[in-house]
Amino acid sequence: MKNTFLARHPSVIVFILILAVITLLATVFSEAYGTGLLPTNYVKILGKTLCLCLIAIAMDLVWGYCGILSLGHFAFFGLGGYMIGMWLMYARTEDIVIASMTNAALPPTPDEVRDAIGTQIFGVVGGSDVPLVWTFAHSLPIQLALVVLVPGLLALVFGWLAFRSRVTGVYLSILTQAMTLALSLYLFQNDSGLRGNNGLSGLQNIPGLTDMPQSVLSIWFMWGSALALGVGYVFAAWMVSGKFGNVVKAIRDDEARIRFLGYSVEAYKLFIFTITAVIAAIAGAIYYPQAGIVNPAEIAPIASIYLAVWVAIGGRGRLYGAVIGAALVSLLSSWFTGGQAPDVPLGFYTIKWVDWWQVLLGLSFVLVTLFAPRGIAGMFDRLVRKDAA
Amino acid sequence: MKFSTKAMRLAGVTALLATTMAYSPAQAADDTIKVGVLHSLSGTMAISETTLKDTVLMLIEEQNKKGGVLGKQLEAVVVDPASDWPLFAEKARELLTVDNVDVMFGCWTSVSRKSVLPVIEELNGLLFYPVQYEGEESSKNVFYTGAAPNQQAIPATDYYLEELGVEKFALLGTDYVYPRTTNKILEAYLKDKGIAEDDIFVNYTPFGHSDWSKIVADVKALGADGKKVGVISTINGDANIGFYKELAAQGISADDIPVVAFSVGEEELSGLDTTNLVGHLAAWNYFMSADTPANAEFIKTWHAFTGDEKRVTNDPMEATYIGFNMWVNAVEAAGTTEVDPVIDAMIGQKYPNLTGTEAEMLPNHHLTKPVLIGEIQADGQFDIISQTEPVPGDAWTDYLPESAVLESDWKDLKCGMYNTETKTCVQMKSNY
Amino acid sequence: MLRPLLIAALLAFATPPLALAQDAAAPSDTPAASEQVLDDTTPETPATLGPLQAILQEHQKDVAKASRRTVDEVIAAVREAGLPQGLTFLERWGDRELWQREEDGLFFFTKKAEGQNLTLIDIDTGEEVGTVSKRDMTNLKPNSGVRTVIASSLVASQLEDPDPARRRQALEAIERRAEKDHLEPLRASIETETDPVIKARKERLLRVITISFGQTTENRVEAIRSFSQDLSIDARAALNPLVVTRIGYSEGEPEGVNVARILTPGRTIGREEAYALLVNDDKAIAARTRAERKAALEANIEEGKVGGVPVSELSSQEARDRAYSNLVDEGKAPPFVTDETMDAELAKYTFYEAYADSNTEVTTAAAETLDSIDQYVGLNRFFSLVLDGLSLASIYFLAAIGLAITFGVMGVINMAHGEFIMIGAYTGYVVQQIIPNYTVSILVALPLAFVIAAAAGIALERLVIRHLASRPLETLLATFGVSIALQQIAKNVFGTQARPLTSPSWLDGAWVINDVVAVSYIRIAIFVLAIIFFALLLFVLNKTRLGLEVRAVTQNPRMASSMGINPDRINMLTFGLGSGIAGIAGVAIGLFAKVTSELGQAYIVQSFMTVVVGGVGNIWGTLAGATMIGFLQKVIEFFNPSNTLAAQTYMIIFIIIFIQFRPKGIIALKGRAAGD
Repeated sequence: MKNTFLARHPSVIVFILILAVITLLATVFSEAYGTGLLPTNYVKILGKTLCLCLIAIAMDLVWGYCGILSLGHFAFFGLGGYMIGMWLMYARTEDIVIASMTNAALPPTPDEVRDAIGTQIFGVVGGSDVPLVWTFAHSLPIQLALVVLVPGLLALVFGWLAFRSRVTGVYLSILTQAMTLALSLYLFQNDSGLRGNNGLSGLQNIPGLTDMPQSVLSIWFMWGSALALGVGYVFAAWMVSGKFGNVVKAIRDDEARIRFLGYSVEAYKLFIFTITAVIAAIAGAIYYPQAGIVNPAEIAPIASIYLAVWVAIGGRGRLYGAVIGAALVSLLSSWFTGGQAPDVPLGFYTIKWVDWWQVLLGLSFVLVTLFAPRGIAGMFDRLVRKDAA
Repeated sequence: MKFSTKAMRLAGVTALLATTMAYSPAQAADDTIKVGVLHSLSGTMAISETTLKDTVLMLIEEQNKKGGVLGKQLEAVVVDPASDWPLFAEKARELLTVDNVDVMFGCWTSVSRKSVLPVIEELNGLLFYPVQYEGEESSKNVFYTGAAPNQQAIPATDYYLEELGVEKFALLGTDYVYPRTTNKILEAYLKDKGIAEDDIFVNYTPFGHSDWSKIVADVKALGADGKKVGVISTINGDANIGFYKELAAQGISADDIPVVAFSVGEEELSGLDTTNLVGHLAAWNYFMSADTPANAEFIKTWHAFTGDEKRVTNDPMEATYIGFNMWVNAVEAAGTTEVDPVIDAMIGQKYPNLTGTEAEMLPNHHLTKPVLIGEIQADGQFDIISQTEPVPGDAWTDYLPESAVLESDWKDLKCGMYNTETKTCVQMKSNY
Repeated sequence: MLRPLLIAALLAFATPPLALAQDAAAPSDTPAASEQVLDDTTPETPATLGPLQAILQEHQKDVAKASRRTVDEVIAAVREAGLPQGLTFLERWGDRELWQREEDGLFFFTKKAEGQNLTLIDIDTGEEVGTVSKRDMTNLKPNSGVRTVIASSLVASQLEDPDPARRRQALEAIERRAEKDHLEPLRASIETETDPVIKARKERLLRVITISFGQTTENRVEAIRSFSQDLSIDARAALNPLVVTRIGYSEGEPEGVNVARILTPGRTIGREEAYALLVNDDKAIAARTRAERKAALEANIEEGKVGGVPVSELSSQEARDRAYSNLVDEGKAPPFVTDETMDAELAKYTFYEAYADSNTEVTTAAAETLDSIDQYVGLNRFFSLVLDGLSLASIYFLAAIGLAITFGVMGVINMAHGEFIMIGAYTGYVVQQIIPNYTVSILVALPLAFVIAAAAGIALERLVIRHLASRPLETLLATFGVSIALQQIAKNVFGTQARPLTSPSWLDGAWVINDVVAVSYIRIAIFVLAIIFFALLLFVLNKTRLGLEVRAVTQNPRMASSMGINPDRINMLTFGLGSGIAGIAGVAIGLFAKVTSELGQAYIVQSFMTVVVGGVGNIWGTLAGATMIGFLQKVIEFFNPSNTLAAQTYMIIFIIIFIQFRPKGIIALKGRAAGD
């Protein structure tokens, strides 16, 4: 079955190969396992970019294939980061607390340990008790399950409410945006118990692996990200290739007609919405330990809009388009806003990319929508077809 | 695992051979000392942080005119973390490992500092942090040249209690770490001073809040039980504009309900018309209106550097100024830019501040600073009405039970979070 | 040129001191004159100090570094001396016009002289005694705490001052800090008061301070009762201290105290709290906290065991309790306080709340009056909440009304709408930079903002939106791109800092109905603006040819076009109208909040919510949506006053749920017009 699937979709094999080559090359040139030509910083950027590609695939599934323009998928991405971040922070702090208590006259009670952890984690944001949402933070398996469950449930409930009352098109987009806004405002509150504006930080230090240098960890995380992206890509390609995929695409093209044909449009939509939310959450859970900090600003509505921008520029309805878009735009963004891009002196005025990149991005987005609705992948397709012809 | 590591190494060696010619060690002999500047130049924090970037560049230029440090010229490496907190960590790593800077000046918000901390502790970097903050932290690799709560919040509250006779407090803040922690400390402090819990009104608003009518009316209504009301504001940035406009609209004069702000400086006031706000207060360690020769010189240099006679100076700029000059002196004293000797040489450094006294770097990596209280004037400047002797900065506040037992001492104890009760170092590295 | 001025200066020296004080503005500060004075007369310390100076020198430190706590002494000393110049001194000191010479610590008044110099004026005689550089002098700035005390001490002499401003000042001083001494002078001054407004204020104030300082109980009770319908803060501020209670206890019936009510431990007072009172007075043994018990355990570690329990086992609370009770048995630690012993102890006493004031009649009257005021306050607070909600609703409405046309009526989704609001606000700012008169600048800015924003809107419609006519999702994304670009351009041009947009002075201040209900004029103006635009749009859409055509094009563009309507032109005009109104909203919002590049972004999601909740396609719906959202937010804030952020989160969640039940909004279009 799988063979036939892959045989029918050679692009999947090409993608996996390219991914493997990039990852291997990065390892070969890395500081930890190779020549050291590639600083750890860039390994981390690569790893994070792979995660962004994964969420772009999720976005492409939900928007490019199913026609639901969700402006809220970064909320699931961020939630995934929060779920894994809770364990990372808690377990790391627990190690520190227990180490500091070894010299105490009496062995600490579980309550004392928990109080000390609370003070350490929440002291900085003006609290000291461990809030209820942290109940399972001590357990990696539970938090890992929550990475999938919490965003999945949120998507399920939200999607159920929205699709059930037949909210479609731009209304749905605005509603998803409102959901993101509500979630980020909620997390911004200190009372949410997730450290408010500060979010969860120091996530790059993995409990139990404190002796492992970041140069090594970053490689492992890069491999993890690549693996997740590869699996995600194959899964997405498999899903959209069969009959299921055809129904989904048909919903995008004419929802009413599919409904008349007897398909439960709402169920399909809900499934796609939820499964992509879970993919986004997994991407987030791998992304944030590499970024080191997750906070509400990550979930701000603008992040999800950028996600749509990546997919649109890369090319909707093509999985590799989403990947190209995410990788290209996010890397270009960080290059331009990082102050590395050379300024363009015009004599009377100097274009500083730090200032003007956003303008360029915004306008290029307008241009892509107007003139190249299929994005980069669309142009690429046209070239390939021409060659074939 | 071991085998695979070996295999990887082998692959690495092969790649190394393949690229021998291209590879050259990064630490090639440089005749400059690199100074990293880690301030946001875009995004929401750009407005505040760009000024500090310019300050560092100005200080570097001045220092180079004097012949640099250790006979070498200083070279600024400016990056833009774009008000994006994870990007701060990424850029810090880039500065330390790709650009190999010897010292960094940067960060404004607490969350950006927390984001950078693990990176600089891991790579043993050196960061000077120039903004007033909530305390409860002391890292080996960071020097905090802004005020700790006991150098800003507590003295201002004392001023309220002693000088203005305030009996009822409204603590208004933006909902984030600095106001939360500061208010928590203040609440404990006020209860210590015999203020009842009912006489402390706390309110948090989101960033950029603009609808202040109800909150200001609530504050006004606090006066109904015959006690003198005072407002302590940790409202951040833009939100202040709406807040002060509403104060003026509801006719609240500084004589009836004074407002003391910890985050409103010359820069923020330039965004509004202050004629109706004359007499409200701010507490800082520096005001542009400080009447000393050193300050006059600093302002002159600043205007010359920016080419703009209207640019104001503010407290974090002074903190950057002190931090930079202390670093220069510490490097000269240590004879090297290596991080560890410089950290050792930093402690005990003294440098005159811009308000006529002297700042000293303490073993807890905080400074001694005088506390100034200024009244807002119609021209957007502050009239200094009270100035204390330099107060030593306290990393762990004495007013919260869990922090009162903690101490930071990087000279003798070599620990940033030392529990004086159990006599143990709680943690060597910060817990971010 | 020089001569007359020199003569004037000489004359000034010769004039008697009193006259000179008024002559402060005399043009004596010519460069030549003052420099000469500076060169010739180096400041000398007079051999003998004036009487006032002498007194002040005795208190030199307390004058120079005046504090609320020490200033009374200085004032008393000055008053005791009974010098006529004493009052002037106090007034000018309070007005921050006192200077101290650094070299000898003497105090002077000053007058600005040429450049950085000051002319010194003797505080006793009022004579000019020399000119010195500003650098050698320190201006003494008593803080507002000190000034309140000074003003309060001046009350008696100012109440009958011929200058009404001074009299008002005196009244303000009493309002800030009333003292017993003020009562009689105030009463005496009412008779001779000529100004009816001030007289009324004096009479009212007399009643207020009688509450606290009246001589007889009847006087006070009468004054108290007179405020039963008055919710002003100063009256409540005088009443509330009378009913302050403290918690006490006694064995048997409480005696000698003015009891407000009896407390029952466990019900009206916490058991722990009541018990702590007893412990505080050593009437009971303190309950040991967990930390204290732990300390006791640590102090009794013997050979790796505490009370017979091995230390290594003490990692649970049960084991620790066991070890502690062993210690208690051995007599090495104080016993636990069990619930039974606590109850037994508490039963021995009567706990009560007592008024601090022992005068029963006064406290009863005050408590009753406050009750009656509280009801009145509650009513007014509700009224105030309604006004707040109305004001917020009008702001949301103004922000959303442009969108109601482009999104609601035309069905075009424009995410850059917020940026048109921003453009309007920046237009206001720029106009104000050019036209300094605030009133004129606002009058110019409003139409200009309309024109500029409308032009931007038309450009957007022609260049982008028209080409994406039947692809709403793509329109959404493309206009997002425009929004991002416009925001960043604004940042590049104007900087990220908030820009001032100041309202004209006639919009300053607030319409104060009473001490609870007040609305700032700027909010009223926004409300009026919202009403005007609502009416205007209703008129345009329903009564004009343009409106008819707009509705026709919206409902069926092809049919409209075959009727001779040019749909492109109509779309362009409608879009321009909607965007232009957003521009005007920008000026209004900028006036009351702030002008930043993120101004529009802050309102965009809320605006869409307003339109969607209200019901698309209909301006009445937008009105309903704005009203609902505005009031809802205020009500949530009312219930959760300490966290405005939570209010916004709950509101959005509410809206999401609301849309589930009324997906077409509050006022849904029916029939063909509803379309999809």
